Amino acid sequence: MLFVPRPRRAVLRGLIGLAGLLALAPAAGAAEGRSAPERALTVVGPWEVGGLDPASNGHAFTRLQVAETLVGVDAAGAPAPGLATGWTVAPDGLTWHFLLRSGVRFHDGSPLTAGIAAESLRRARANVGPLSRVPIATISAEDGAVVVVLQRPFALLPAFLANHTTIILAPASYEPSGRVVRIIGTGPYCAVTVAPPLRIELERFEDWWGGRPAIARARYLAVGQGETRALMAESGEADVVVSILPVSLARLRRNPKLAVQTVTPPRTRLLKLNAGSPLFSDPRARRALSLALDRTGLAKVLLRNPGLGADQLFPPAVSGWHAEGLPPLTRDLAQARLLLAQAGWRPGTDGILERDGRRFAATLRTYSAWPELPPLAAAIQAQAREVGIDLAVSIGNTSDIPARHRDGSLDLGLVSRSFAMIPDPLGTMLQDFGLDGGDWGAMNWSSAETASLLDRLAVLADPAEREPLQRRLAEILQAELPVIPVTWAELAVVANRRVAGVRADPLERSYGLAEMRWGTP
Amino acid sequence: MTRLLLGRLVQAALVALVVGGLCFALVRVLPGDAAFRIAADRYGPDALTAQAAEAVRQELGLDRPWPELLLRWFGELAQGHLGNSLVSGEPVSEELASQLGPSLWLAASALVLSLLIGLPLGLVSGLRAGSGLDRLALIGAVALRALPPFVLGLVLMLVFSIRLEWLPPAGYGTWREMALPSLTLALGLAAVSSRVARDAVAAVGATTYYRFARLKGLPERAVLVRHGLRNAAIPVITYLGLQAVYLIEGVVVVESLFAYPGIGHALVHAVIARDVPMVQGAALVMGLMFVLLNLGVDLLCRLLDPRLGAGR
Amino acid sequence: MMLQMQDLAGTTPPRSDPWPISRRIGLGLLALLAAFALLGPVLVTADPARQDLSASLAPIGSDFLLGADHYGRSMLARLAYGARLSFGMALLTMLSAAAPGLLLGVLAAWRGGVTERALVALSDIVLALPGLLLVLLLLAFAPGHFLPLYLGLSLSLWVEFFRVARTTTARLLVEPRIEASRLLGFGTFYILRHQVLPEIAPLLLTLASFAMGTAILAISTLSAISVGLQPPTPELGSMIVELLPYYDEAPLTVLMPGILIFLLVLGLQLTARGGTVR
Repeated sequence: MLFVPRPRRAVLRGLIGLAGLLALAPAAGAAEGRSAPERALTVVGPWEVGGLDPASNGHAFTRLQVAETLVGVDAAGAPAPGLATGWTVAPDGLTWHFLLRSGVRFHDGSPLTAGIAAESLRRARANVGPLSRVPIATISAEDGAVVVVLQRPFALLPAFLANHTTIILAPASYEPSGRVVRIIGTGPYCAVTVAPPLRIELERFEDWWGGRPAIARARYLAVGQGETRALMAESGEADVVVSILPVSLARLRRNPKLAVQTVTPPRTRLLKLNAGSPLFSDPRARRALSLALDRTGLAKVLLRNPGLGADQLFPPAVSGWHAEGLPPLTRDLAQARLLLAQAGWRPGTDGILERDGRRFAATLRTYSAWPELPPLAAAIQAQAREVGIDLAVSIGNTSDIPARHRDGSLDLGLVSRSFAMIPDPLGTMLQDFGLDGGDWGAMNWSSAETASLLDRLAVLADPAEREPLQRRLAEILQAELPVIPVTWAELAVVANRRVAGVRADPLERSYGLAEMRWGTP
Repeated sequence: MTRLLLGRLVQAALVALVVGGLCFALVRVLPGDAAFRIAADRYGPDALTAQAAEAVRQELGLDRPWPELLLRWFGELAQGHLGNSLVSGEPVSEELASQLGPSLWLAASALVLSLLIGLPLGLVSGLRAGSGLDRLALIGAVALRALPPFVLGLVLMLVFSIRLEWLPPAGYGTWREMALPSLTLALGLAAVSSRVARDAVAAVGATTYYRFARLKGLPERAVLVRHGLRNAAIPVITYLGLQAVYLIEGVVVVESLFAYPGIGHALVHAVIARDVPMVQGAALVMGLMFVLLNLGVDLLCRLLDPRLGAGR
Repeated sequence: MMLQMQDLAGTTPPRSDPWPISRRIGLGLLALLAAFALLGPVLVTADPARQDLSASLAPIGSDFLLGADHYGRSMLARLAYGARLSFGMALLTMLSAAAPGLLLGVLAAWRGGVTERALVALSDIVLALPGLLLVLLLLAFAPGHFLPLYLGLSLSLWVEFFRVARTTTARLLVEPRIEASRLLGFGTFYILRHQVLPEIAPLLLTLASFAMGTAILAISTLSAISVGLQPPTPELGSMIVELLPYYDEAPLTVLMPGILIFLLVLGLQLTARGGTVR
């Protein structure tokens, strides 16, 4: 279209076609067009907007407080009232009543009823998502309460109902086939525009049950590159930036216009081992690999925080699961070599261990969905080599790990595992360390004691009763190493000082838009 | 002229067939379980499970025989449908439309910018071949081409967003967000097109007829316009015809650096997720755009040098 | 732009010193780079994969002559090995793209008719397939390996040479002096070699030198979307990507691989344009 010497008809037609396509471009600044008295609060995060299906993209709508779940989470990570003000469970542990908050309205003005909430939950249960793993018999509505009847007792039900795939949407959100065509939630902000893959525009919902939020308009921008996110904060273009690369943190902390907060989410980068392979079936080999790792060095150099070296599975911030006084995982090359020698491995001519003519060579698979994983893998590769283990690093797709777990072709994977999908870490532990192992957890490793511990934990609600069982679980995992913890994680949230009330959420459930307000910088 | 258009039409059909078939075949034979790939893209790294992948396999019928799937795609294409994305379930045409617009804007503005920078620089360097300016332009062009686009983009962000605070580093919607990504692309393009223009101008300047025209006493400007520009333009336009495609598909990294929604991003995403209809649709749209562009280049070259058309 | 009479006497382009200063500088640069790439890995004793986390981002001139990268690996060793790999691969890619591109381009222009139409159709279809898609798909067969990377790059680069060679040759062939030579019965090969090739050579050499840069940058682009080579392979393009996050703390270290690529393309450019055009 740049070269139009003498418009011929065919060319013209082509141009008209092109112009038509151009017109489909997202209306440039539809929001800016209205003469707005106040800027839209800009939140920048790394997660792309996938679509409207709660099973795949519900997290976007809970984080932006567009939609809400029956159960919320308190500061300590325990289930707390959400759209349900409270819940009761019958003595048999099977029938649960979730009392609905009264006076709640959806963004289209319609009231929230128990019937609507039950319908949303039934849809979530039929979809893929954590709720489909809960032994539910029926979900029904009684006046002012959602009633869930279980097949067998399961104390974690409230925590599962806090997961973002169980958001409660108005009936008008669905088309007859059950597909979600718009997000009509109950939260303090309504989604005005959802423009996958990069943008969501929000407007304050005046009738929110929790009161009128201070900031009228907001938008979420997905920015995949960490460097760009840091620059968005520095240039003042973004008001709140979630997830900052460790290398940028020191620079942003020096910037007087910005306030940096860091929290430790329940997330661990760990090596998932195939305990059924001849290389790692011997616990001594797993322990040796663990002893080869310089966790403090990795954390210091690649994560810029030496305290993030994972000397056990859970970071100290996860109370009840971090086992105080557990003998830590440390680096000890001499001990590692000794253990490998005891397991029958002898150094070959090139320094790589051999046993019965087989080299200690494996493929370390990881993926780039988390930017820190490939660099960690390259460092682990070099450290393993020092004790004679030859690792080839393969950076692929996220799906390689569970797919190869299923077909048994995984040797070793470096994964980033969140224990916050269900706010109670037990939800993830049940998935990862059961008798059959888990897609992201143990592989060809099982322990009857672990399984029975998990079974007992699943029906206990009292933290004091759970505590000793959780500790025993941590001890077994530390001794057996079905997965080798490498580092914990840190979530950094940077806010421009013109915004007040920003709070970093370690569970990454909400950006807390409703609590933010414009302050004086 | 009719023949040319007819030829391009045939080419467009051929491109559709080859691109559609080839993409399908390649994506089908790639290693890795497609159901897992699609589930990974849908549910994200934290929520992906084998159970989710099985549900995807059931829902999409991925284990059905491939001739059925391919024929269905061509059948739908004949009726003007591109199918539905396996990941989002939305029609491919809708997803592409929302990304093609910003992509075309970006490409067009980068092309214009690169012409504004590259052509004058190339002309002047070509006419003064060997001068200090020529050398400086060469070093500048080489430096721009030695930097990967994302480094160049980062430098531009640091200068224009952080130091000068003129332009936002990322986002999209208005011309302000588009300025930096299109400048990043334009500088890379101008680096080469300025050299191509320079060589062409210098070559024309060295030809006999050009020298003869000068000797005839025609003023330099008239000679330049009558002989020099015309002949120098052909390689530049041919080259830009190629570059325009690079603009649309080769911008992935620039798109991701500047968080700009574009078709390159969509294509990479689709290949990684094994989203066959999206790959086919995106490749098809790019292929057809290329055919269209080629037509423009052909027409333009023919206008500049009528002899080119006579032979065919 | 002083016009000299003797230029008008002959029909050949003006001759000048075949070894002008720019070409000498260019060749000198290329020789230096070749020496670094070929001898560097032999002379540098440090292991490019050996990490020392305590020496992360060590400055230039410390224990490491050119400093260390974020893992504390010797930059000198990595640059030397990286130069060998990247330059070698770029040369291979460029040659295997330029040779068929040039031959087919001239062939198409010379023969015209069906041959030309068939070749143009082929090139158009290849070009209509996004090059990135081609490389991505080929790479998916063997992630992190050289062969698919190289194949994909050559397959999408040759078209560029083909198109420029064809249009320029076609333009030349209709010029009176070449038409005259054809009428006078000069052989095809003679005309191509003595009248066509010298004219299109500078343009093609310019393209070729940029194509080598493009090949290296393409690898870095692919690394940026995490489909490049496997760690810890030292390769200039992927080194840039790996080091980029540290641009604020060690800007010079980040630029080093880029400087090598710059010198390579500059050397090629200076050599390529040499004495052909005044």
